[in-house]
Amino acid sequence: MGLYDKVKTWIGESPQWLGGDDRLLLIIFGALVGCCSGLAAVALNFSLHAMEGFFSSYRFHWYFFVLPGMGAALSSLFLEKIIQEGAGHGVPEVVYSVSRHGGLLRMRSMFSRLVSSSLTIGSGGSAGPEAPVVMSGSAIGSNIARFFSLNERQRIALVGCGSAGAVAGVFNAPIAGLVFTIEVIVGEWTALNIVPIAVASVAGAQISRLLQGNQIPFTHLHFDVDISTTLAAAGLAIITAAGCILLTRAIRKSHHVSGKVPVPLWVRAAIGGCIVGLVGLFLPQVLGEGYSVIQKMVEGSFTGGFALVLMLMLAKIAATSVTLGWGGSGGIFAPCLVVGSFSGLMYYRGIDALWPGLLQVNEGCFALLGMAGMIGGMLQAPLTAIFLIVEITGGYETILPLILVSVISTTVCHYFEPASFYFRDLIEKGYYLRPRTDAKVLADLRISELVEKDCISVPKNMSLGEFVKVVQQSRRNYFPVIDEITGAFAGMIHLDDIRPYLFDTLLHDTVFLEQIMTTDVETVDIDDDLSEVLSRMDVSGSFSMPVVTNQRFVGMVSKATLLDKYRKELMLQTTD
Amino acid sequence: MQMFHVFRNTPYGRETLLQTAYFCKKMDITPVVYIPAYAKFLLYMENDVIQVDLDESYLHSPETAKAHVNAVMAELEMAPPRFFAPRHFSTPSLPDVPVSFNFMTCPKTISDLSAKRGSGSIGPRIRRIFKAAAFPVMIPPPVYKPFTRIAVMFGGSANAANAMRLAVRLHRLSGMPVSLYTAEEGRRGKKYYEKLLGKHALTGVFEQTVSDWQIFPQKDFIDNLYKVPHDALVIMGAYGHGLIRQLLFGSTLEIIQSTLPNSLLIVGPNYRGTM
Repeated sequence: MGLYDKVKTWIGESPQWLGGDDRLLLIIFGALVGCCSGLAAVALNFSLHAMEGFFSSYRFHWYFFVLPGMGAALSSLFLEKIIQEGAGHGVPEVVYSVSRHGGLLRMRSMFSRLVSSSLTIGSGGSAGPEAPVVMSGSAIGSNIARFFSLNERQRIALVGCGSAGAVAGVFNAPIAGLVFTIEVIVGEWTALNIVPIAVASVAGAQISRLLQGNQIPFTHLHFDVDISTTLAAAGLAIITAAGCILLTRAIRKSHHVSGKVPVPLWVRAAIGGCIVGLVGLFLPQVLGEGYSVIQKMVEGSFTGGFALVLMLMLAKIAATSVTLGWGGSGGIFAPCLVVGSFSGLMYYRGIDALWPGLLQVNEGCFALLGMAGMIGGMLQAPLTAIFLIVEITGGYETILPLILVSVISTTVCHYFEPASFYFRDLIEKGYYLRPRTDAKVLADLRISELVEKDCISVPKNMSLGEFVKVVQQSRRNYFPVIDEITGAFAGMIHLDDIRPYLFDTLLHDTVFLEQIMTTDVETVDIDDDLSEVLSRMDVSGSFSMPVVTNQRFVGMVSKATLLDKYRKELMLQTTD
Repeated sequence: MQMFHVFRNTPYGRETLLQTAYFCKKMDITPVVYIPAYAKFLLYMENDVIQVDLDESYLHSPETAKAHVNAVMAELEMAPPRFFAPRHFSTPSLPDVPVSFNFMTCPKTISDLSAKRGSGSIGPRIRRIFKAAAFPVMIPPPVYKPFTRIAVMFGGSANAANAMRLAVRLHRLSGMPVSLYTAEEGRRGKKYYEKLLGKHALTGVFEQTVSDWQIFPQKDFIDNLYKVPHDALVIMGAYGHGLIRQLLFGSTLEIIQSTLPNSLLIVGPNYRGTM
């Protein structure tokens, strides 16, 4: 073993030289991963600004609408042909990886989404840079863990560190980074996770501050929040929830429709981009991440009327659903913020038109509350929404209506869309497994780990007399019967099956197993999901089942062995 | 035990499948055949995730693929294999392949552009599979080539010891004779390598299993590979080093695989097989 491998092994086995506790190791790695993902976030910000600056001079030409199409097409070509990475929104893939594969992510994911989302968003596509940077940060964490051969639990913590550092870096919002990661990515509040993820958040935000300055994304006027504002926030939550449901369904519908268009993926992305570009010719506010529009609304300087705001909100929803549904690369964070601020502004102006003077606070406050409602509803993560908006606006004085709008919007959304935008597909396919749950423990156990192989197989032409001798040597009640010519599984014999013949010795030489075995036996395959097998056992009322693969008997799987392994796995997963 | 095979529905793919089927028949292993519907898939190993990018020929004529697989099995008087269908997808077009099998067939063309370029190299992506896999990987020859004996490349490393253990296991399954080949570094002599066998607790099984041991000088390595019988299944350990290390230090694996026409069974550093 070379020096290089020795160092890796030494670090990988660090809990031994750290007295069996890996917390310090995770803190050190958390800081490293946080710095790297913070750098990724800054790089994405710089590239987006550079591209927006480059394309800004073309925005006033009639042919501008092709630019988002070109950007989306290049983005799709980059992902599909150069990087060869199946495109997705980013966050669901990270959650899937944490749920199913212990946080293993491909190395190419460290940079692929940064480039593709720069092309999509920088050219005018309506999407956000946050999900791509979360993907990138998480992949950085995963690959650092892989490099040092860390275990699964440590790797998941580092994936969380990458995500937290990325969100903290891109928004200069360390608490939001921490809360988003715990609430959405990792899914469990344990000290073991929180400490390194918090450190990574700090590191990511600090890198962002060093390279971009300590600025909050949206400065605002001072808001005097009174009880009428807080109560009105409850009504806004209904509007934002409606916006969330509309956006979620529009993206899914758009994806569904685009899937039916028989053209290559990059052509599909180009078509979607051109449609967005056409919308942008008339309503340029819907293009790109849209932070400049939010800034105006939060400052209270957006001059458009109620109808224009409503139109912009619907246009932004349409543009985002077409961008993401037709193959552009990006996330939904930024579009949610834009749609949320439009809905907040629209709600404020509606109230003000109906009951002039009722709301004393500046309309920018409602733009801010709208953002919280939209993020809370879309992600179904109210804490993330609250802390994100507080941090990116510096508006702690709005905390009471913020909490209210976030939780009500989340609740209403949950009623119509039981899973968040990120989780819906995963839950539908059975991929989403929260840590320390029954489903997660069962998913981590395989039939091959549970197979009991001490069964004695008997040929089907064996006489009862010979079988009785076999029974004497065995402690089992079940005996698999096999075809002696093909080796295929033929059936099972239970001790109860031979009881009627057992004491009649005359039958011992005249009865053969083929005549008394049960052929109608329910079997399981070695690759079956354990939860599926358990359901089948419950339905049939059986305590054990034979495992048969390719017509060959492999062994038995029983509830007793399962309980034993289940307890061990549960202890492993719940020990901090 | 199961052996995973990605089927390519072409004449070359048939040769590879014949090799897999022959190996399975000889060792009494169940072949698990994957007829891909997508040009890439993910192998989630214990500590790594590897994307295998297939070329378009793997997606050729899916409607006849199953019948062709069954015909190949029938040719070797074997029952139809298990057909693997992915249940989980990392993204809609990226299936996950579980790694719960015991062997995998990995032709040189499976996931590397370098092989396509005709350099004959295995390439870094396939080496990454050896490196991460807990199971041995078979690199089949381009055309079907039955084997009747086992040849182990033993240099004394931990991976070579694992290769030896695998050879013992396959000897017990198939009854094929085992020969050992060692490229001697410097003038260390046979006793040095016997000590290494002892260090890896292999002396006993060596005496019971190995029928022939040839030690030749490292400097004439390629010339001495001629001594490896043409009808042997060659088993060797490999670290699966990346491109940079290979460029710096070279690769014995690449020399052997580009010199020998035999089937190669590669044992990586994460292989945890028993005898």
